[in-house]
Amino acid sequence: MDSGALQIWGMRLLFVLLTMLILFFHLLPLNPAPSQWAGPDVLVAMVFAWAVRRPEYVPILLVAGVMLLADMMLQRPPGLWSVLVVCAAEWLKSRERRQRETTFFLEWLTFAGTLIVITILYRTVMVVLILAPGTLVLSLVQVLMTIAIYPAAVGVSFFLFGVRKSAPGDMDRLGRTL
Amino acid sequence: MAKNGTNSEDYTTPLRRLLLAVVILCLLGLFFIWRIDSPRVERFRAAVIDTVIPSFDWAMAPVTATVNIVRDFRSYQRIYEQNQELRRELRQMTAWKEAALQLEQENAKLRDLNNVRLDPRLTYITGVVLADSGSPFRQSVLINVGSRDGIVDGWATMDGTGLVGRISGVGPNTSRVIMLTDATSRIPATIQPSGQRALIVGDNTSAPTIDFLENPDQVRPGDRIVTSGDGDVFPPGLLIGQVAQDPGGRLRTRLAADYERLEFLRVLRDHGARRVSSPSALILPETPPGITDAATAEPQQ
Repeated sequence: MDSGALQIWGMRLLFVLLTMLILFFHLLPLNPAPSQWAGPDVLVAMVFAWAVRRPEYVPILLVAGVMLLADMMLQRPPGLWSVLVVCAAEWLKSRERRQRETTFFLEWLTFAGTLIVITILYRTVMVVLILAPGTLVLSLVQVLMTIAIYPAAVGVSFFLFGVRKSAPGDMDRLGRTL
Repeated sequence: MAKNGTNSEDYTTPLRRLLLAVVILCLLGLFFIWRIDSPRVERFRAAVIDTVIPSFDWAMAPVTATVNIVRDFRSYQRIYEQNQELRRELRQMTAWKEAALQLEQENAKLRDLNNVRLDPRLTYITGVVLADSGSPFRQSVLINVGSRDGIVDGWATMDGTGLVGRISGVGPNTSRVIMLTDATSRIPATIQPSGQRALIVGDNTSAPTIDFLENPDQVRPGDRIVTSGDGDVFPPGLLIGQVAQDPGGRLRTRLAADYERLEFLRVLRDHGARRVSSPSALILPETPPGITDAATAEPQQ
């Protein structure tokens, strides 16, 4: 295997490790009493940040597997949130070429819009199938917190793990332009 | 996937779309199977958690302990006030202890006269809290005892003083406790001393509401709430908490168990508990009350 493929598989492994780390912190039994506010969904912010920058690091099957594991671990209905995140991530990937020249602010807006749309869909499906989707305030707080930490997720991915958009001159391992 | 889609043209290939469609169908299929046959998929979920969480355990315990030490350290700042407060409470408690001892002796004498035998089946297994639900929308904890230790779905769990929740989801090494504060929790209860029956309905806040109360006038804040044993959900007489009233005038439960610090939980063995084996058993009793009423009412007419 050449260095390019090795790097891609390395980043995929890193993605899985980061997911486990995020789930680990979600599950710490620090305060089992119910709280009035909800923390951000860091996992979704990371998936979207990576999907916009380097689609090859987060292929469909990896996103689906990771999100399904999160659904299982975090007591969500299995499959519903994963399917929404997979669709949204694929949609963001398909826009990746166009987004390459846009500003970060525009990307942030796109992220916020996508997240709001999939959250509304999630809650609608839950209500239609007579599942308790939780209070609206809690969902709203979670969405706002996730939007707020998106720049941090992007920053950490960029500076710590080197997940950046491919520059115009970049070549892939076969020498084609990206 | 197989070709390491490094070329962005790959994202529009039919193969890629096919893969996306298959993934979406699989996930949606799983979701609908879960919706239709929940117990089976929940058992699968329990098995997944049972394999993943114990591998986290070595790191989870020290991190939780460290964070708790830091929190305790912050509370040292108010140590003098706390000390004074505790002294005052201790004086009150000594008086209560005297009263309790006298009552205990009296109780023992009366029991002896009546030949009462306390229920010997209510023994317990103690487990350590491994993880919480990980989501602000669900209130549950995972404990480190499971089917290997004889835990069965539906058993009651308590901390030292009060009821915490109900076992729901058992793996070989772990089991999940749905707490009274969860939005899906409904526990039949009796309010002492008036003897009113009610349901303790969790609503994702720290004080579950009291619902289906026959006569709210007979219930006052401060009354004790214990389980009633209706519907074979729990053994009767377990302490839940006290009645409290929120600013909106709604009756709520101040839980006796200390939800801020759940570390060890007791699972009460209860061999009379109703087992949940099929999806409909979650909703319906074994013989719906309407059917027997109609059957007995018709011959009389």
